[in-house]
Amino acid sequence: MSEDLRRALQKIQGPDELEAERRAWVMVRSSFEEREPLTWQQRNRRPLLLAAAVLVVLLLALLSSPGRALVGSVHDAFTTEKAKPPAPALTALPAPGQLLVNSSTGPWIVHFDGSMRKLGPWWEGSWSPNALHVAVTRAHRLAALAPDGTIRWTLARNRTVHGARWSQEPPNECCRIAYLNGRELRVVAGDGTGDGPLRNVVGPTPPAWRPGSVRQLAFSTVDGRIELVDADTTKTIWLTDPGDVPTQLVWSEDGERLLALGERTLRAFDANGHKLWAIGHPVGPSGVVFVRKSHRFVLIRYSTATLRSDLVLYQAEADPGEVRFLYSAPGDFGTLAISPNGNWLLVGWVNANQWLFLRLTPSAKVESVSNIVEQFGGKSSAPLEKSFPKSVSWCCPASP
Amino acid sequence: MVGPGRQERSWIRGAQGGSASDLEALFKEHWPRAHRAAYLVVQDGAAAEDIAQEAFLSAIRNLDRFDRKRPFGPWLHRIVVNRAIDWARARSLRREITETPGAEDFDTGDLGTFSDGVAAGLASLSAEHRAVIVLRYLLEYTPGEIADLLDLPRGTVNSRLRRGLDRLETIIDRERA
Repeated sequence: MSEDLRRALQKIQGPDELEAERRAWVMVRSSFEEREPLTWQQRNRRPLLLAAAVLVVLLLALLSSPGRALVGSVHDAFTTEKAKPPAPALTALPAPGQLLVNSSTGPWIVHFDGSMRKLGPWWEGSWSPNALHVAVTRAHRLAALAPDGTIRWTLARNRTVHGARWSQEPPNECCRIAYLNGRELRVVAGDGTGDGPLRNVVGPTPPAWRPGSVRQLAFSTVDGRIELVDADTTKTIWLTDPGDVPTQLVWSEDGERLLALGERTLRAFDANGHKLWAIGHPVGPSGVVFVRKSHRFVLIRYSTATLRSDLVLYQAEADPGEVRFLYSAPGDFGTLAISPNGNWLLVGWVNANQWLFLRLTPSAKVESVSNIVEQFGGKSSAPLEKSFPKSVSWCCPASP
Repeated sequence: MVGPGRQERSWIRGAQGGSASDLEALFKEHWPRAHRAAYLVVQDGAAAEDIAQEAFLSAIRNLDRFDRKRPFGPWLHRIVVNRAIDWARARSLRREITETPGAEDFDTGDLGTFSDGVAAGLASLSAEHRAVIVLRYLLEYTPGEIADLLDLPRGTVNSRLRRGLDRLETIIDRERA
């Protein structure tokens, strides 16, 4: 029995063992490179002497500006940032622009000065290219609103309408809205005319217009393929292999890279639909946003072992590159949005009922705002995972 | 627990001095068994990956304090198995799963009835029992060493091993029949 058992245990394999090893090595190496190894002398000195030396070094590091610079330089962006108590209310945004917040009570617009407006009894909304309108949905209805909530037009469909996304607006041409009517993908012109089906049955992922194009639209099929379609001719431009059905499709700002974030896998594609790579990630809260004018992106990575969420930075190139940790906190991160100037990242920290504003450049900084649910009309007694805002888009151009 | 071989001592010394290639050698030597041990205890691929990865990250954070005369494996396995047990307990407390995990959670491939029976048997054990079985038969520690690793009395380890093996035998016999 013992020998048989030993052999049997050695045969049982974890899923995706080689990929797991590869991913783990990237993390381990990254962490290793951040540490500062002790010298032989330091390691072999008597403990008291070592403690005294470390104390002196720490004091020097704290007291001298070159010391502070050194301490700051060896860590990734936010590891040295001291936590400040969160502000009790959002009094202003840290960077120009405005937010469209899809909260449990409906879509809200937040202006640079912190003023807020609820758009009405709608379930979710998305920006038009220049924030002149918002496409909103509720049950069977799609509508285009002015930012003050005035309805410009509306149409009703036979199934639940969701995932409305506005295309870019080139000169002298009207933009369009792609949306899902149940599992049917449809497109309507920005003035509410010319509504029609594009595909009869697709995956549940909100579609994503390719930046730089008013015609090319990416969507997922029911078996997790990603298809790029010409919305004018309805012809397929490219179609990928099947995979994890994505929850999020996100283009880079130049339209050259597409990320498909599924429950277990993140896939990166180039402009021709060729898969650059796929990486696995633990099931749990996740999200992805591209850094502005870049193929680098921030990913929420939840650890089921530590019950913490990490923000990590990868690149959508042939090699995802060495992972860089940006920030970590216990519990769930739920939303990501990047400011129009690219300097700030908004992160929804669900368990803490906070938004974190992380300054990416020129130097790391963290600002936090608490009572997010209550500020958007939610009930503080409701479970946070239900009442915390589901998504935020920072305009303009809007972050996906 | 026997001491580390000359090669492993050399890798640890190199890694303590900042050598990424020595760290990689150490990682490649120990990752497969650490990952598999975590997987067999928690029965969840993603969690096992996280646990083994966190254990390595923890080991790296404490690398400078590590005594090179001691073997690296037990140090790592102590972290891995204790975290795996904690995770499995937390999972059952949080009721993240609604069904009792079954043998289908293991990827046994086409390994034959015995391995399938082992997989089914392991799934029917508690995380604490799985842990001692894995430490004894996958990582090949003695009961005394397992008691040290898990901070348990040796008698408890022996009884968990006995009960675990009895349960496995029953299920394997059933599978064979």
